[in-house]
Amino acid sequence: MAGRPRAHRNLVRGYEQDLRLFGSPLSRVGLAAMLVTLLVLPTVVQDDFWLSVLIYSGITAIGAIGLNLLTGYCGQISLGHAFFIGAGAYCAALVGGEAGLPLPVWLLASAVVGALLGGLIGPFALRLRGHYLAIVTLGLIFVGEHLWRNLRDVTGGNNGTSVLAQPEIGPVDLGALEVAGENYSRNQGWFWLVWVLVAVVALLAKNLVRTRPGRALRAVRDHDQAAEVIGVRAGRYKIGAFMVSSAVAAVAGALFGAYQQHVTPDEWTLLLSIQYIAIIIVGGLGTIFGSILGAVFVGALPALIDEYSDAIPGVSSSAGGDGVISVFALNQAIFGLLIVLFLVFEPRGLAGIWFRVKAYFKAWPFSY
Amino acid sequence: MERLTERDEEDGAPQPVPPLLEVRDLTLRFGGVSALRGVGFEVARGELFAVIGPNGAGKTSILNCLNGVYRPQRGTITLSGQRLTGRSPAAIAAMGVARTFQNLGLFEQLTVIENLMLGRHHLMRTGMLSGMVWWGRAKREEVEHRAAVEEIIELLELEPHRHTLAGLLPYGVAKRVELGRALAMAPTLLLLDEPVAGMNVEETEDMARYLVEVRRELDLAMILVEHDMRLVMDLADRVLALDFGVPVATGTPARIQRDPRVVEAYLGGAV
Repeated sequence: MAGRPRAHRNLVRGYEQDLRLFGSPLSRVGLAAMLVTLLVLPTVVQDDFWLSVLIYSGITAIGAIGLNLLTGYCGQISLGHAFFIGAGAYCAALVGGEAGLPLPVWLLASAVVGALLGGLIGPFALRLRGHYLAIVTLGLIFVGEHLWRNLRDVTGGNNGTSVLAQPEIGPVDLGALEVAGENYSRNQGWFWLVWVLVAVVALLAKNLVRTRPGRALRAVRDHDQAAEVIGVRAGRYKIGAFMVSSAVAAVAGALFGAYQQHVTPDEWTLLLSIQYIAIIIVGGLGTIFGSILGAVFVGALPALIDEYSDAIPGVSSSAGGDGVISVFALNQAIFGLLIVLFLVFEPRGLAGIWFRVKAYFKAWPFSY
Repeated sequence: MERLTERDEEDGAPQPVPPLLEVRDLTLRFGGVSALRGVGFEVARGELFAVIGPNGAGKTSILNCLNGVYRPQRGTITLSGQRLTGRSPAAIAAMGVARTFQNLGLFEQLTVIENLMLGRHHLMRTGMLSGMVWWGRAKREEVEHRAAVEEIIELLELEPHRHTLAGLLPYGVAKRVELGRALAMAPTLLLLDEPVAGMNVEETEDMARYLVEVRRELDLAMILVEHDMRLVMDLADRVLALDFGVPVATGTPARIQRDPRVVEAYLGGAV
């Protein structure tokens, strides 16, 4: 076996190699493990309740990635995320439902509508920051609510509208998947669809933040005057962040509507926006991975509480039932508590905990 | 003022080529306070031009006017024939004016590499969409400009700090990274605002060595604002002394040191 001595497999030989997303062998193992889980999980967990929890978490993860690009990377607090999610759902109802166009079309149409709406709101961010921007975007929720309740042709008014957008790509219907004689349920198909899209959106977002525009976003967040002085047009990136963020939010909304098949204006309230803020704080501001962690953690929580409300003492599982607190109120209280606890004890969120564990094992068995 | 222009002509070597930077009659007011009154000077290609003066003399204000952070009420600034006054900081940066800050303008949550790559920002074209796609332009530009950044890392000996967050760097190194980021912009004019402020003797000597190295390796003019007179007198080709926004004298370091008006501005007049 004579041969040239081989360089260590971790040795980086070019900038191209240094820029790889999954550069080390261990991270490639991790990637493979994630892909296998994605593929196999719905065949193992066939229970509709658990699958639907995971599907909602996945949809929430996509929306959270959008908000994290705006808040975590560009430093702009928005309470208007629910507005863009709602807009996406109604867009799916129109393009996918009434016009009956296939999945890629209604997803893209929602993204475009989201980006345009974001581009309208974005300019406010040029003059306002922090709490002031939060207040203006808060106004967006109420403008939206008025629109959703009164544009009856599109939204169905207070009663809501059904979203008949189908998850169809050409001849493949993910709602009733049939591969090699095997039939898969609607939830199984939706699980694959949603989590493949989570992976795609996460990859696109990761690429965005590690290249020129992403560095510019973070520069604007950290020190916008210094960013201008080195040639970053801060205003352009602030608006751009709004557009990308709301496009992603609208995609999440479209999926949400199409999966749930019926949406009402009560869905897109301030509480939904706050839930998303809780997710990115719990998951980790300024990390894509954290958005997904946070979405699974916070997104699954209401479903779990709902499911096991009988077992939790003091919670009334039905309206008018005996108990101190309703399921809904308990959820809100838990979101609030999570935001406070994470901001105080773990400002970098779940992702921060993960990075710390990783750093520990990098040096293991040495403690330095 | 009249004498000043006379002296200018005596001092400067004959310049057949037009100067890189021309500043004429710069006046900047904040409400009733004049920060600059009728400041004018020229900087030749490759020259190291220092601006000195007591605290509050308007040194940093000159730099802020040069890169568009402040808008002067009167006066013109031209760089190789193009007018800088009235343009935005980002536009001026794209025209080749780089700058370091008195109290560090690094992006603390970004690594050294990312800070330096931000210097290349105006030379790159990847937008949001092509960034998301990665393959194609984004990847090509990342590799290309990373190579350029690595040259600066080598020049300023930043190798051990590549992946350190800028906020965690020791002060002397952070100042060097900021110089590196300015150099990454491939500027024709570099504005240095107190590059050795707060440094000990050793760090100051290091920084001086890097500045000399940069001048030898790269073809750029520098405007240096600094309180450390030894550094100024050692490095500068010419010096402008300011007092309360008014130019006192311009000339070679040796000449400025002997100028009675400069001495008076610094030490106060005879009692």
